[in-house]
Amino acid sequence: MQREGYVPPTAGGGGGTGTGSTRPGGTYGDAPRQTSMKYLCADCGKSVTLNKADPIRCKECGFRILYKERTKRMVQFEAR
Amino acid sequence: MPSTKKSVVARSSAGQAVFDTIAREKRFRNPPADKSAFPALKEAVRPHVDSWNAVFREGGCLHQAIADIGERTVFDRLDGNAETGYGNKLTVRIANYYLGKSMLSSRDKTAMKREIYPAECRERHSSYRGQLQLELQYKVNNGDWQKEYRDCGLLPLMVMGNRCHLESMSPRSLVDHKEESEEIGGYFIVSGNEKLVRMLIVNRRNYAMAVIRSSYAKRGPSYTNMGVQIRCVRPDQSCMTNVIHYLSDGNITFRFSWRKREYLVPVMMILKALVDTNDREIFEGIVGLDQREDTFLTDRVELLLRTYKAYNLYSRHETLAYLGDKFRIVMQVSPDVSDVEVGKLFLKRIVLVYLNDDGDKQRQILFMIKKLYSLVAGTCAADNVDAAQHHEVLLGGFLYGQILKEKFEEYLLNIRSQVRSDLMGGSKVEFNSPQYIRKMLGKVNERIGESLHYFLSTGNLSSPSGLDLQQTTGFTVVAEKLNFYRYISHFRMVHRGSFFAQLKTTTVRKLLPESWGFLCPVHTPDGSPCGLLNHLAHKCQIATTTSDTSHVGPLVLTLGVHSAKVLPVPTDATLSVQLDGRILGWCSPRDARRVAESLRFYKVSGTHNVPLDLEIGYVPTSNGGQYPGVYLFSQEARMVRPVKYLPLDKEDFVGPFEQPFLNIAVTDPEIKSGDSHVEFDPTNILSIVANMTPFSDFNQSPRNMYQCQMGKQTMGTPGTAIRHRTDNKMYRLQTGQSPVVRAPLYNTYGLDNFPNGMNAVVAVIAYTGYDMDDAMIINKSAHERGFGYGTVYKTEKYDLAEKSKSKSPVLAFGWGWAAIGADAAALAKYKAMKDKYSETLDDMDGLPMVGQKIVEGQPVAVYHNMGTGETFFFKYKGSEDAYVEEVRLLGNDVGDSICQAISVKFRITRSPLIGDKFSSRHGQKGVCSQKWPAVDMPFSESGIQPDVIINPHAFPSRMTIGMFVESMAGKAGTLHGFAQDSTPFKFGEQHTAFDYFGEQLKSAGYNYYGNEPMYSGITGQEFHADIYLGVVYYQRLRHMVNDKYQVRSTGPVDSRTRQPVKGRKRMGGLRIGEMERDSLLAHGTAFLVQDRLLNCSDYHQTWVCRGCGSFLSTTPTVAGERRAEVRCRRCADQATEFDIGKKGYWEDGLGNRFIGGEDTTVVVIPYVLKYLDVELLAMGIQMKYDVSP
Repeated sequence: MQREGYVPPTAGGGGGTGTGSTRPGGTYGDAPRQTSMKYLCADCGKSVTLNKADPIRCKECGFRILYKERTKRMVQFEAR
Repeated sequence: MPSTKKSVVARSSAGQAVFDTIAREKRFRNPPADKSAFPALKEAVRPHVDSWNAVFREGGCLHQAIADIGERTVFDRLDGNAETGYGNKLTVRIANYYLGKSMLSSRDKTAMKREIYPAECRERHSSYRGQLQLELQYKVNNGDWQKEYRDCGLLPLMVMGNRCHLESMSPRSLVDHKEESEEIGGYFIVSGNEKLVRMLIVNRRNYAMAVIRSSYAKRGPSYTNMGVQIRCVRPDQSCMTNVIHYLSDGNITFRFSWRKREYLVPVMMILKALVDTNDREIFEGIVGLDQREDTFLTDRVELLLRTYKAYNLYSRHETLAYLGDKFRIVMQVSPDVSDVEVGKLFLKRIVLVYLNDDGDKQRQILFMIKKLYSLVAGTCAADNVDAAQHHEVLLGGFLYGQILKEKFEEYLLNIRSQVRSDLMGGSKVEFNSPQYIRKMLGKVNERIGESLHYFLSTGNLSSPSGLDLQQTTGFTVVAEKLNFYRYISHFRMVHRGSFFAQLKTTTVRKLLPESWGFLCPVHTPDGSPCGLLNHLAHKCQIATTTSDTSHVGPLVLTLGVHSAKVLPVPTDATLSVQLDGRILGWCSPRDARRVAESLRFYKVSGTHNVPLDLEIGYVPTSNGGQYPGVYLFSQEARMVRPVKYLPLDKEDFVGPFEQPFLNIAVTDPEIKSGDSHVEFDPTNILSIVANMTPFSDFNQSPRNMYQCQMGKQTMGTPGTAIRHRTDNKMYRLQTGQSPVVRAPLYNTYGLDNFPNGMNAVVAVIAYTGYDMDDAMIINKSAHERGFGYGTVYKTEKYDLAEKSKSKSPVLAFGWGWAAIGADAAALAKYKAMKDKYSETLDDMDGLPMVGQKIVEGQPVAVYHNMGTGETFFFKYKGSEDAYVEEVRLLGNDVGDSICQAISVKFRITRSPLIGDKFSSRHGQKGVCSQKWPAVDMPFSESGIQPDVIINPHAFPSRMTIGMFVESMAGKAGTLHGFAQDSTPFKFGEQHTAFDYFGEQLKSAGYNYYGNEPMYSGITGQEFHADIYLGVVYYQRLRHMVNDKYQVRSTGPVDSRTRQPVKGRKRMGGLRIGEMERDSLLAHGTAFLVQDRLLNCSDYHQTWVCRGCGSFLSTTPTVAGERRAEVRCRRCADQATEFDIGKKGYWEDGLGNRFIGGEDTTVVVIPYVLKYLDVELLAMGIQMKYDVSP
């Protein structure tokens, strides 16, 4: 089950990063692990890496709005 | 024929209606770094921005207001009186105010950029505000003034006003700051919404209006319906209305309202209090030398003077003391001020507040008395209070300033009440201790910024005085950016006041000739706000400053006017010359005309220091018309418009007061001798939106009104900074085009930045039957090429802080966890939930994935309680499928909190569907009825297929000839490759539009009349008639079936009646009303009636007793010996021992035993019948049903 980046299937090895057990957020029943996410600053446009407990602000310019990046997951719709 | 073609092109490019595609593209890629390419847009919102600047500039209205508020005093003894002394005196005043730009709070210690720009406020759904600070000064007894700076909260700022970061930015830096390149400002940002204070029509200031109003007679016994009213406006724009009433015995009283209460004072008392005077002076002031024989007037003046003797007040001093004594409590004056001083304060605060000099005030009141007696005698007519002549515009900025002034005043009064409540509460009051002062001020409500924020967000005015306005709600509106026409219209909108919306009479709504050139005659909605909600003509401006008129007074005296201060004036000097309600002098009717004409010549030529926007209202003597005189106006809030002054061939500005007495020709050929002015352009009378209707002079007028409506409902282009906007709902047309047919004004206002429709090839033909009744057929291939493709953006804010009550964050975005050590079942449940809902969510942060499709009921975001790990969801509520366009993580004001709010923008695709609404620019709306395959569409000889087919029946009754002209012009324009000028009033009887465009068509090798032979797309045969085929600009309206359709088989019902509920939102049904029922009955479809009205509505089966005919008395029996059944309690008798022995009884739920009542049966009724039965029973009425098989 692919959840992170879309990795095109290769002839060799199996699926890239994701199998059930290595999911972020930890195994069921645990308190979530510290994870970090990348966002874009709405002012300077730089990438901002935030941990769960970090306040919402750009590390570079201190701006208070962050955009979520477009998903890397394959987005496919039925075009009918 | 190349030569003909060239001439045709040359004729067209003579106008400014050009595409200018390359220049536009360049400007778009490279916004100018110096100034805007479209100054007209800024001009359109100038009334809003300038009024704000006039209030908040150095020495502006607010500074004047502070000076006007003055001092307030309070004593530290509650029981003080004149003998014992009042104790220590604390005097407070506001010395100054400081309003900062929008900046980060000082609590934020880290940010480098400290400015908060409007775009951030929009994106964060916050408000654009600046810090307001007051410099409060106080002194104890007669000590020195001491300063105290008080923070009064954050005050909402006007975008582009003089406290805005964007004020003087170039288009390029505006784009850098995430604004439109042509950002116009004029609004406030309140919780992410753009709000503006709309302009309100109010009575003209400082002009005594003769009024006949039936409500005046209700003031008391002997009051008549006649009065003279004057709305006095101080330089700080706060106002006070004074009225003098005529009593049936000939007397006059002076009325005013103070803190929403009305007071009446004999007018003589005011006259005597103003200056040291005597009866003779007053008599001469009212009765001119020429009127000495007029017994009607002299009798009344005599009565006025005689009845006043009853008060026994002879000197000014006595009168002032008397007034002061009576109004001391009302005016809330400090107890140590003498009665005479209170009397003077009364005159300053209440009587003709715009004048500073008491002599001027007295002369104006005498003039008002003269005018009132003239009205009573019938020698002058009442002024029309509904005419633009007596109107001015209350601007948003000035209203804002007025509210602020009142809040400042209230603040000082609150300080006084706080000291008093400290005294009454027994706490220590020490004026000399700064600690006490600070502590006391800390308890006073200082949140002035918040109250203005409340005003803007709700539009409600909470004011002790009511600000002399007739309404308390509806002052602000959201500036919706549905499309640019709607947006710009908000700023040009003037409302007559919601008070008039309730009036049953239609007189206020009438279009009067006085509004010519000031209010657009076309651009008003139809329906309830018709005529009340008007729009300014596009050239109409509103003065926001007082012009320098210091030279006008002396100048007028040199022109033959006798000074008002020298009495008596000559016999023939019967007309007053007034400047902003101050009487400059008196002159003869002939001189008056000369004065007015000379002043006008001076002001246009720019000599003698007469300002250009001075309004010179010369009202000539007439037989029972408007009260004559020369009235000069130079102050704020007047509507003015440019016209050409013929004697100098220069621009003059005229106002609505003088306009009825000027002869202004509309076009140059119309100029007659005696005309002083000519319009620059006949289209100057139309609003911006009305000007965009092509060839509107060819249309029947209501159609142009409809177009003004529909232009504002079009799904167009709201702007280019869509990425940075978070409007709740925004419409966007993906495939907007620049219209081929447009007025040059379209370019002036830069409307190519905001395309509002598409050029479509339109055939007028009854082709398939699918174009009946205003339906239109769209070419399926045109649709596939993107014709009318649109998008709706919806923004939703998801706030965790609202969910939890505590101040520190309890909830956080992201998945929670099953409790530590949870059993297997709980873990499985958690796993199932996560599997079920993780489709649209990002595992890492619990927020939606950008680009993801989302359907109803799917989670948008997941959040959890950080303590318990319990997981919750925000779910998508819309019924339509949407795509996540943007996800914003919103920090708090200081930027120190974890993510507590996100803002998600959804994109909903709206490809044109059957049932969507379209319209041309001529009030010709229609609904798409089919997307017809291109192969079956008719085609012309050159192989052109229409994009849109409309029915010819749309034209005869509506007479929108403009659409035919547009069709031809568009066709010719596309063939030759140029834009067509569609300005109205350009063609005439000699030079007809059809000939002009017909020739162009002819030169392109097309039929002169615009129609051409066409062939059926189905049979390939030529039609018997030629078809009118051309290019028309089509708008897609925002009314779409997807927002409208309503269908239900079963669904929610009303709990009381069990009938289906109403309303699309609640999944309700559509009512079959009486008329629909009649129709069904007339068709003899009784079965259908029963199906609709009973079976599909509140069908109900119930037991009824045949014996007594009641269904309320039936009750189920308890199964015992016998089976459970339903019996009638009413018909049953109490079972006796004997019956019980026989076992023939039945038992109810309480164990009571009965016998009989078995004659019951089941019937079908509508459930409401039962409800009716119960209601009637409650009134003591029993219903009896005769049930027979």
